[in-house]
Amino acid sequence: MQEKKKKSRTWVGYLLVCPAFLVMLAVVIIPICNSVLLSFQGEDGGLTWDNYLYFLTDDASIRNILFTLKVAVFTIVLALFISYALALYLRFSTSRVSRLVGHLYLLPRFVPSMVAVYAVINIVKDSGLINRISLLFEQNIKPGFLFDDKGIILVNLWFSIPFATMMLLAGLSGVSDSLVESARDAGASSRQIFTKLLLPLTFKDIMITGTFIFMSQIGAFTIPYLVGPNNPKMLGVALFQQQSSYADYPKAMALSVIMFLLCSVGAVLYIWTSLKDPEWAEK
Amino acid sequence: MKRLYYGLGRRKFIEYILFAVFILFFYGPLCNMLILAFAGEYEYPDVIPQTYGFKWWDYVLSRDNLLSSITTSFLVAVLATAISLAICLPAAYAISRIKFKGRKLVMFSFLLTNAFPKMGIYTAMAVVFYQLNLMGTLPGVLLVHIVNTMLFMTWIPAGAFRNVHQQQEEAARDAGAGPVRTFFQITLPMAFPGIAVAAIYTFLASLEESQGTMLIGLPNIKTMPVELYGIILDFPASGGAVFAIILLIPSIILLVLLRKYVGPDTLSKGLKLR
Repeated sequence: MQEKKKKSRTWVGYLLVCPAFLVMLAVVIIPICNSVLLSFQGEDGGLTWDNYLYFLTDDASIRNILFTLKVAVFTIVLALFISYALALYLRFSTSRVSRLVGHLYLLPRFVPSMVAVYAVINIVKDSGLINRISLLFEQNIKPGFLFDDKGIILVNLWFSIPFATMMLLAGLSGVSDSLVESARDAGASSRQIFTKLLLPLTFKDIMITGTFIFMSQIGAFTIPYLVGPNNPKMLGVALFQQQSSYADYPKAMALSVIMFLLCSVGAVLYIWTSLKDPEWAEK
Repeated sequence: MKRLYYGLGRRKFIEYILFAVFILFFYGPLCNMLILAFAGEYEYPDVIPQTYGFKWWDYVLSRDNLLSSITTSFLVAVLATAISLAICLPAAYAISRIKFKGRKLVMFSFLLTNAFPKMGIYTAMAVVFYQLNLMGTLPGVLLVHIVNTMLFMTWIPAGAFRNVHQQQEEAARDAGAGPVRTFFQITLPMAFPGIAVAAIYTFLASLEESQGTMLIGLPNIKTMPVELYGIILDFPASGGAVFAIILLIPSIILLVLLRKYVGPDTLSKGLKLR
């Protein structure tokens, strides 16, 4: 009797999960498999590596890949550096300013990305606010950020810093006050506490945050499309054009598989840490 | 004594300078946009507009394509949230309460859209959608928005269901309530805050989704972010600002509501998944 009841509960479980899983299967999983198959299809319909070779040998597309990696690395390094400093400040300072920043730094995450990109463009474009203010002082500063990698990185930072700070602050909050105090009692300087205690303890958070930013940059579209240069361009933009302007699906699919592969290093880490979350551990 | 005071003074000084940089970097662009939206005359090289008024609001609200994109946006967001709730809540309940084989696999599948480059997934979807004639249709766009938000629509409510004590459900069952009634009168109300957060995040994410809608929805379905791509590239600054602020208003209202009714814990859990 008990056994039978348990079995029927399992079936209810499958039934309840079914609609959501089927949507995922039909809309994401099958298309991804389909795109992998399609990426090996040559012009004559046979199997071929040509689509991949195209992206790995063509000068313009190699430049695109390198450009994407360059923007990603700059964004990661700058965002991690600034965010760690901000997180340290939020964790250890008790001043009123620090509490205020604690309230204010998360709001950008609720601003729709298109709106924020637009707002930043109005400041940094060559006829934007910075230029206009500089004219007041009889200078003519043209930042030259728009349609340039500096522009992409700047807008990226606007989005990445609040996110990275949130992640790193969560890590730093996990380091208990007593631990820091005991280290201080034992005579450690602030610098030693930072390099010997905080940095090793939050290393995992730093890695995860960096991975997140890396993955978001590989697939980035909106920001590079609006503020980035046309040549070289980031992979997300290249993929969009391959799909919608040239309608060359096998090539587009090959490029997206390349992007999947670049991301998968990060994805494995992300999924692994998410599933390892204690909240989801087996009871 | 004097040196200590000097030291403290310099520290505060640096703190305030950095605070000003923080505010200018994150809030300066938004404030500037707010001012531009109410500009009347704003010629180069004015730093702030010469006159103020609702000129650009009239302009934006008189353009049919922009007006209809506002309706489309809200229609898509409401539908996507409703459908997502309908298919994800049962899954969330099953994941949190029933142990079955492949549970981890199901949860893993919901992570897919967040773990891979979005544009790659959208192009893969587009190829299949072409064959199914879903390109440029409302169902096609809705599917994009739904799979995008499935992660927080299942994970956050699953956490909420898990926090409802099973004894309370059992007590209701002992008092004679059937399983369906127990769910609707006991479990659902208690898990409501988590579900509300997930629903609001889904709504906001749907409102701001731009790249997938552009790829799948064009040329028939144009939401506000899709129109914004065009506006950013060829509109005067003040006209675009008005439109951007219309897109920003729902986020702010919902954020205020969330802060009022939901604890910071649930809020930040959702933020992390975002």
